[in-house]
Amino acid sequence: MKIRGKILFLAGAMTALGAGWAGFPRVIYRSRPQPVDFSHKVHAEKAGSQCEDCHAFRDDGSFAGIPALDKCAGCHAAAMGTTAAEKNFIEQYVTPQREPQWAANARQPENVYFSHAVHVKRGQVKCEQCHGPQGSSDRLPPYQVDRISGYSRDIWGAGGRPGMTMDDCVACHQKQGLEHSCLDCHK
Amino acid sequence: MKRYGMSIDVDRCNGCGACMVACAVENNIPPAHQGANDRKGITWIRVYRVDNGEDFPDRRSAFVPVLCQQCGEHTPCASVCPQQAVDVDPATGIVGQMPERCLGCRYCMAACPYHARYFNWWDPAWPAGMEKTLNPDVALRMRGVVEKCNFCHGRWHAAKQRAAAAGKKDIDPADYVPACVDACPTGAIRFGDLNDSATAVAEDARKPESFRLLEKLHTDPKIYYRSKKDWVKEIASAPRPGARKESLRG
Amino acid sequence: MTTTRRDLLRFAGGAAFGAFLTPAPWRLITDTALWSENWPGIPRPARGEIRTKFTHCSLCPAGCAVRARCVGQQPVALAGVFGGLCPFGVTAHHLPYHPARLRQGPVKEAAAAVAAAIAKCGPRERVAVLDLRPGRTASWTYRRAMAGVRNGTYIAPAQPPVSVNLANARTVLSLGAPLLDGWCSPANAFAARDRFRLIQAEPVESRTASLADTWLPIRTGSEQALALSLAGALDTRDAAERTGLAERQIVDLARELKENGPALVIDCRMSQNVVALNVDLGSWGRTIVPRPEAPVPAAWKTAAPPAELAAVPDGSIRVLLIDESAPGEYLPWNEIQKKLVSGNPLVVAFACSREGYGQHAQFVLPAAAFPEVTDDLPAAVDAVAPGFRLATPLIPAPDGLVNPVDFVAGVAGLAAPDALRQRADAIHASGKGKLVTYADGKSAAVKEVKADEFWKALNAGACWTGDAAQPGRAPGRDFSPAAEAAVPALTAVAAELAIADSPLMSKVYQESNLRLGPDRVAMHPRSARECGVEDGAKATLETSAGQRRVEVMIDSGICPGVVLVAARPGFEPGQAKVVRI
Repeated sequence: MKIRGKILFLAGAMTALGAGWAGFPRVIYRSRPQPVDFSHKVHAEKAGSQCEDCHAFRDDGSFAGIPALDKCAGCHAAAMGTTAAEKNFIEQYVTPQREPQWAANARQPENVYFSHAVHVKRGQVKCEQCHGPQGSSDRLPPYQVDRISGYSRDIWGAGGRPGMTMDDCVACHQKQGLEHSCLDCHK
Repeated sequence: MKRYGMSIDVDRCNGCGACMVACAVENNIPPAHQGANDRKGITWIRVYRVDNGEDFPDRRSAFVPVLCQQCGEHTPCASVCPQQAVDVDPATGIVGQMPERCLGCRYCMAACPYHARYFNWWDPAWPAGMEKTLNPDVALRMRGVVEKCNFCHGRWHAAKQRAAAAGKKDIDPADYVPACVDACPTGAIRFGDLNDSATAVAEDARKPESFRLLEKLHTDPKIYYRSKKDWVKEIASAPRPGARKESLRG
Repeated sequence: MTTTRRDLLRFAGGAAFGAFLTPAPWRLITDTALWSENWPGIPRPARGEIRTKFTHCSLCPAGCAVRARCVGQQPVALAGVFGGLCPFGVTAHHLPYHPARLRQGPVKEAAAAVAAAIAKCGPRERVAVLDLRPGRTASWTYRRAMAGVRNGTYIAPAQPPVSVNLANARTVLSLGAPLLDGWCSPANAFAARDRFRLIQAEPVESRTASLADTWLPIRTGSEQALALSLAGALDTRDAAERTGLAERQIVDLARELKENGPALVIDCRMSQNVVALNVDLGSWGRTIVPRPEAPVPAAWKTAAPPAELAAVPDGSIRVLLIDESAPGEYLPWNEIQKKLVSGNPLVVAFACSREGYGQHAQFVLPAAAFPEVTDDLPAAVDAVAPGFRLATPLIPAPDGLVNPVDFVAGVAGLAAPDALRQRADAIHASGKGKLVTYADGKSAAVKEVKADEFWKALNAGACWTGDAAQPGRAPGRDFSPAAEAAVPALTAVAAELAIADSPLMSKVYQESNLRLGPDRVAMHPRSARECGVEDGAKATLETSAGQRRVEVMIDSGICPGVVLVAARPGFEPGQAKVVRI
């Protein structure tokens, strides 16, 4: 009954493949909801905001990232619309002066150096190229974090294959002919 | 293409050690572990006290700051690394050490003729609260990897970022000054682009009293020392052991 | 068909084979590595906006202007505004986190004990404040407090009556003063360095001596003799004998000082003979000037005058409050002890650690450490014009600390909550001088600045410089003869200055041999043989400051008869003993 052995082997392989490809991602990643159900679309359309209004550069070129509570409270000291999400935001964060603990998809390890100024101002890379159509999205992309390493599953948001390794960065740099030295991107 | 280098005036160095501690502050180097000594400590730049071999009262001392010499053509450490953890940046000439690729074999430490590479024998640890003073522009290393001077790459990044924000293509040289150069109170250490013949460093490198350490090894280092004292130059070329009386201090 | 073990193994084999074709095991390996990069115990630098703040370093009276690079509010790097800082200044932002830093103290008990002791003071007993860094606004508050207490005395180490003007000097003779290694602000010393020829006269080849144009290796304790002979107040032959120099060297030196003027002669404390020698060389008003002081509110002039420790009668101090939080020159404890009453004197020390007078005090109260302090800096030894500069706090001081000025003022019932502001207002009211702000490097005449702006600017990083006063008549050439003391068999000489050090100073002590660590001494092989120690031996070092366990290093470049030590608080160069353990 040699065939029986082969079938069992194959069965094992199939199970593992299924578990590894379909089951493993479900298990290894944990979904975390963002503190506020923020809608970029509403702010872009109704408030006429551009990316730079909230995600600004400082004088020395450093990037301010996700805005702090002051920026939001500047307009949202009182409710400006009728959504439950906004009401929740004002009650939970604006009134008690509590900073929302945003989960940044693009958060990099400590040894990675990424400069928005160099990419946006010198490289003329558009926000959408890396972050995808965030500006016109009605809901924030779901934040999935690796249970063991603590990093997010997808640092992009451009809707392609989720990735968080340096391969994607290197691919673009190679295409642009800008690959020089490891220390260009590492600290 | 730039070739960043330094010129160090040994006759101006007073051995205060401000460069050593400023380097440690900038690069998040931890204070010594209890078991650390001068061979197990981490001092990316280290000032050695050298002397003319005479006894009192004819003893004359000088101080020589030694850091990674940023070798040129034939970087000994880059050629021996099994992990490709060392790379020479063609745009700046800086020899970069990548602790994240390093597996800690220390072959590079054996290869470096200047003893300018340091191994993390212990996990870095700071006294309680002192980790608040860490520099966010430099990553911490863990135990088991080699590290060395990289001409304050965090400041290079900040200078490039500042230039990009101002819409300029090239950095402002005043923005990129390594910590040791910044801290030196006597102005003994100068930093700049050796390929730009107008910089002070390039001028110093051309002076007749300039020399480099261990020139005969042909590592083509980018740190140029200068001194008017002959006995200092002799030490730099390292005559045979036993050719001069060594002082055990420094 | 029963399931056999072989079936299970086949299944498992297939599963293993299949698993390696999935991302799972590779992901787990990578994740474990990533997790290990961030596991607990690895500190993370804080992220935040980078800001620049200014202050003055309060570690020593030079008071160098400091630019602090801050992440949010926390300083992460310090640099000098006008030049480099010394290594202590570069790492000064670590001091609040030093393991030996005091955070708590019995404040209420100390206050009660002081009040009780003052009440019990006899008619000939006194209450005294010992201020290690006189000349500050805080010092004025102490003096005013002591004026308000019966038998109050304000004691401070004698300050040099003159300041030096390095910029004007063409020849400088330093009698053991570490001119290029911390005697004054490094930025000033090196800015002026190329304009003068430096002759360093001292027994060891210090850092300053190695950089000087000439090093004269004179015997320990012979500095005064050399000064006197250069002024003609001592026979050259005597001086040659005492210093160990050749007569011709002294004659040549005297001629150089006269011909290559303006000359400047300095020693660590600008002693009387050295000042007189400078006057003799015609340097008054050129390279030495009277010590300036910034204006003071008129109401303060009724403050108690400073007294020198030697002038206080023995056994007369019942309560001694020592402000060690702004360190300067430490007076030897045995000298202080002589002045305390024999029965139950009360000593309270305000300090950042227990290592100084804390070893001898009944109460040690924790004071703010740089960069938490709010204080002003006295005129530095190379300040030609009156100045006012503030050390403003970069980070808030933790709870539980005591402000020594408030404590002493409270003891005396003196309300002096904002003495610094009052001083700044008095300076502003004088209408003289200019204000230099560090953030923009601009200079403005005080007359054009309002009082509030003046105060704000000083707190944000600025300095006020007044007009240099007319030097006036030179002091008389009063030489005091140098007693010919027997030279001890072994003299301890400081190799390093004692300033608070950050744990990172291990780079220069422990992880290299650049500076002499606190647990090491260096000696000539002959002296070592005489003491019965060899290289690497463990020994006890006995000096006037006490006993210490040390390790011996041998160096034939050191003067025989000298043991080089790293100075600690209370150290006085002088007789020493090294005894093998």
